[in-house]
Amino acid sequence: MRKLWWRHAALIVISIIMLAPFYWLLKTAITSENIYEYPPHLLPVRPQLFNFVDVWYLIPFPRYLFNSIVVSLIAVAGNLVLNAMAGFALTLPFVGRRSVIVLLLSCTLIPFQATIIPAYLITAHLGLLDSYLGLALPLLSTIVCIFIFKASFDAVPRSLIDAARIDGLGEMRILLRVMLPLSTPAIATNIVLSFIWSWNNFLWPLIITRSQDMQTLPLGLARFLSYMEDTTGALYAFVVMVLAPGLLVFLMAQSAFMRGLTTGATKG
Amino acid sequence: MRWRRILLSRFFIVPAVLLLGTGAWNVYVDLHAHGLLEGSVIDAAGKPVAGATVILSVHDFVTQVEKARTRTDAAGRFRFDDNPSHLIQLQAQDGTEASPRVTIRLWFRGQDRVVTEPLRLAPNA
Amino acid sequence: MRSRRRATVIACFLAPSLLIFIVYRILPLVWNVVLSFEYWSPLHPATWAGLDNYQEMLQDDDVFWLALWNTLIFLGSQPVAIALALGIALLVNSDLKGASVYRTIVFLSYPLMTVAVAIIWHWMYNERGGLINYALRQLGIIHQPIAFLDSFAWALPSIIIANTWQVLGFFMIVLLSGLQNIPPHLYEAARVDGAPAWARFFRITLPMLRPSVFLCLVIGMLNSFSAFDLIYVMTNGGPGHATELLITYIYKQGFVSTRFDYAAALTVAQFAILLLLTWIAHRAVGGNAGAIE
Repeated sequence: MRKLWWRHAALIVISIIMLAPFYWLLKTAITSENIYEYPPHLLPVRPQLFNFVDVWYLIPFPRYLFNSIVVSLIAVAGNLVLNAMAGFALTLPFVGRRSVIVLLLSCTLIPFQATIIPAYLITAHLGLLDSYLGLALPLLSTIVCIFIFKASFDAVPRSLIDAARIDGLGEMRILLRVMLPLSTPAIATNIVLSFIWSWNNFLWPLIITRSQDMQTLPLGLARFLSYMEDTTGALYAFVVMVLAPGLLVFLMAQSAFMRGLTTGATKG
Repeated sequence: MRWRRILLSRFFIVPAVLLLGTGAWNVYVDLHAHGLLEGSVIDAAGKPVAGATVILSVHDFVTQVEKARTRTDAAGRFRFDDNPSHLIQLQAQDGTEASPRVTIRLWFRGQDRVVTEPLRLAPNA
Repeated sequence: MRSRRRATVIACFLAPSLLIFIVYRILPLVWNVVLSFEYWSPLHPATWAGLDNYQEMLQDDDVFWLALWNTLIFLGSQPVAIALALGIALLVNSDLKGASVYRTIVFLSYPLMTVAVAIIWHWMYNERGGLINYALRQLGIIHQPIAFLDSFAWALPSIIIANTWQVLGFFMIVLLSGLQNIPPHLYEAARVDGAPAWARFFRITLPMLRPSVFLCLVIGMLNSFSAFDLIYVMTNGGPGHATELLITYIYKQGFVSTRFDYAAALTVAQFAILLLLTWIAHRAVGGNAGAIE
């Protein structure tokens, strides 16, 4: 009994430390005090939400938001389709399967950051600089997610697949009718991971966007910071508005997401 | 049966509620964004001032630009009908007297608003 | 006939993903290597440079060595973060009431946009409005505010703390799933044999966790090579080059000074170090993440 109490105390302290930056962010975003006042107030002074209105109108927030949503949607759709297909193909026996798997695994060791210069040059050759497709292209398929799908498909009982095959279903139909309905955690993990990765991506858009019209939210944030410094609560309202969609998607899908991530992580 | 499950899952309900909320908000904004701004000007003794000039300036993070001016009527009331912004300042002037600048924050651009607190003129310092 | 058709289907299923990886991973890697042996910048024809870029990097470029050193320090922080995460995972891994709430709270910072995390922590470290200086002064630990991000001594540790805050939850989840895969009968047998708690931890838990720890190490390494967003926003490599990592230096050489050839040589060096470290981690932890089958 005493042991349990001790565990809760430790975890509560950890939770407070983990949540403190969130609190400080929210507090600064809704406060109307001079944020440089010392000592800072622990509770917001005259809380108000007008900082959010300022962000909406005084910077091209709607434009950034639209760009981010378009890129993320392309990336999520691409990930679902391509990863499910590739993951399914890897569960089937074929010549060279092992080498494909080894190839994919060694690709995970190539950090995206190590490829930026040629990737930029390739995208320039394709004529996709400063376009939605160019922004989403490198994110259209992710190896980790392919293995999450593969792990989930491997867990589908063989007898089900054989029965479907005897019924004369083609591979495409087996994937759509048998495999995917049984793999909701993997689908959730795929959606959440690909959404978060494309939503949060900074370095790639930084390199390949030229015009302000194509900038995504993280670029907008960095740009706002560079010309306003951190002198206004509006910056933090901006941060809250940028974080909210990602957190919302994560919290909605979190139980399935955690399940999918843990099975995928230990198997892949 | 499957459709009902999908419709009742949070993956459908949360986005749907958000979309509905956004739609309703936009309708509300459309119906209330004529840029109307009304208020009144009084002197130090609290009596309405006729013919005072009221200046509306639009705020930005760094700049402040005068956008419109108008005069109060016999009852000391003024009215702007083309306020373009959500973050503005009002100031009344009459001869040598002026009111303090009053910052008005609106929820959206050109929100119709009646300023209840009158602008109080005081001798210019 | 049937199997031929199936082979076509498999090829069609795999082709799009493979194409993306080849175009955006493997081709760039090869291109980088080629580029690093050339003199090349946009609008100029490439000429053979031999080892000149590497010679400059190793002999004349102090910033490279500094960035390398900083990157290694950053990497060194990852095992610490993993140890912390293991502690939390052990605390959460039991039928504790509300364990899932704690789990979510710790994980919550992982899906955040790194640029936003950088802005949040930039503010947390602020001399006047920041929570950290305020708390430390209230507790009497320091008497003068510290400009953490402008200080040569504190800038890198500050960024490492922000990074740890973000990735801790991810490590915790990976380790937690490893913990849950340990068969309980091992513990029961040990308890019957009268093994104390610490012995159970070192004899059963740690060895069984090897694959998860290895996975964490590899992901931690990849993460710390990609700490670009954090540094770009919080310090942009400064003060001086106190927080310059290889990746920020590559970006500056490539896209600020448009020295793509030299940046390619830096990239090759970075990748070689990554491979070497992965190999070391593999040998040290003995994880079998390669054995997927």
